[in-house]
Amino acid sequence: MTGKKNRLLQLPQGTESLYLEEAYRHQQAVARLHNLFTSWGYLPVETPLFDFFDIYQDMISGREKDIYRLIDREGDLLMLRSDITLFLAKQIGLLSGSTDLPLRVYYSGAILRHQNQEDISKNEFFQTGVELIGKEGKYADMEVLTLLIATFKALDLSPRIHLGSRDILAKLFADFSGEEFSHVISLSGNRNFGELEHFINGRISADKKSFILDLISFIGTATDFENLLKKSAYKPDMQEQEAINHLLSLWAMLTELNLENHFRIDMSETGSQHYYTGIVFQGYLEGVDSAVVSGGRYDTLLKEFGFDSPSIGFSILLRKVEKLMSSDFSIPDHTALEQQDFTSAYREADKLRQQGRIVLL
Amino acid sequence: MTPLTLALPKGRLFEEVKKQFSLKGMGFSFDNRKLVAHDASGLLKIFLVKNSDLPTYVNHGIAGLGICGSDVLYETGYKFFKLHTFDFGSTSMCIAGKKGQTLEKRGRKLTIATKFTRFTRDYYHSKGIPVEIVKLNGSVELAPVLGLTRYIVDLVETGNTLKANNLEIYEKLKDIKVHLIVNPSYYKLHYQAVNNFVARITE
Repeated sequence: MTGKKNRLLQLPQGTESLYLEEAYRHQQAVARLHNLFTSWGYLPVETPLFDFFDIYQDMISGREKDIYRLIDREGDLLMLRSDITLFLAKQIGLLSGSTDLPLRVYYSGAILRHQNQEDISKNEFFQTGVELIGKEGKYADMEVLTLLIATFKALDLSPRIHLGSRDILAKLFADFSGEEFSHVISLSGNRNFGELEHFINGRISADKKSFILDLISFIGTATDFENLLKKSAYKPDMQEQEAINHLLSLWAMLTELNLENHFRIDMSETGSQHYYTGIVFQGYLEGVDSAVVSGGRYDTLLKEFGFDSPSIGFSILLRKVEKLMSSDFSIPDHTALEQQDFTSAYREADKLRQQGRIVLL
Repeated sequence: MTPLTLALPKGRLFEEVKKQFSLKGMGFSFDNRKLVAHDASGLLKIFLVKNSDLPTYVNHGIAGLGICGSDVLYETGYKFFKLHTFDFGSTSMCIAGKKGQTLEKRGRKLTIATKFTRFTRDYYHSKGIPVEIVKLNGSVELAPVLGLTRYIVDLVETGNTLKANNLEIYEKLKDIKVHLIVNPSYYKLHYQAVNNFVARITE
């Protein structure tokens, strides 16, 4: 009996329930974002709740333990949806042969990730985001960055976006093997410059090494970034310069739109997923203990599902930001009617509802 | 200006940190039984927490910064940026047991009592040695004396406690250093103020 009672009070780790006020705020946020995405010409997609584990195995290395797996009646190993973008990539691979590009899609849904019983901080239960598929270059990068700002504006929030470039790092480490580059990415993302220096020591010239260390530890505006480039004894080669110019030209456009205050160039922002290829970014909000949005360009991910097409997108862990949303998202006041007989109460309520009021019968 | 939030551990590191900060013009003291204090320069809001809870406060962003040994950091498994390694508080993680005996490694499972279960398991598994672990929360030296386990893995500073209990170090497993850690998200939002603070304590 005690066992059953305990289970009534608990939920298994990795999922949650929402009631009343909190559920209302959540739905308001989702509705506002869907309206916004629709007004930018994005169409909704729904992904499966579970899929075959083996297709994704290589893409989730290191995170297997967070994923719920089960065995179906045929004996195949399945995984529950822990990241919508991953399931979406496969669906788009199947879909996009028969549709015109570019394709603009958005999604919202619950995700299931195991989390430590004692760690309540994560709130990784609900993901919403967009993908722009089949378009490359500055124009597409800017579309997604500006939509990201519009997304937070719709929630009345002002995030700080740290913008990095996987492309610049890939060009600087062109001589490194895939595995070595992954290690560089991981050390840079953790801002572990001591070990990074140790790892690349002797592999590249002293000038280039100190340039790389300055670059990866850098956070700031484009002006500071250009100063760093000017001061450096190392002069980037043509390919490296091209990747740097791409990032700087995005900044120039953001400045023209007066949006640059939301951004910092941060080369330690390397993207947690191995599939990123171009710009990568994460967004932070005061009062939230980890990044609330992450995204970037991934031009080769879809190839793994049989369809090669450049893509860029972002994904928000919406439950992390809901506590910061204003009272505009809360349940509005309602009117209770005083009429005694139902018929006249019904008529009065109907009239008031047409004026936009919330009426209890 | 909003002060930076910093968690400090009770125990062996506290007095040392206090002395160092005082030298840099950031002296502080905790009123009787209070666990929150401000430093003299108004730069810091300081929380005094139990050593092993410190990473939890920083992970949840309650304190943006923390000062913590790599032994405790390893056990929690959270992700932080390490901003600085201090030159005080260094110690070593060691395996020890009764004096006169030795470490029996050949194919045998090692039975070890320790506070540092994650480190101990990972360390011996990476060497291909199976281990059986008994988790203790303190006075680990008692385990071999009373016959709970043959070995212990623990921090050794002076070795005096071992000696007093007729135990000795068989092997040093790892150097343990004291780090200034920061919640990654906190760093991204406050990197300028945090960098200034780091410059001040390292100057």
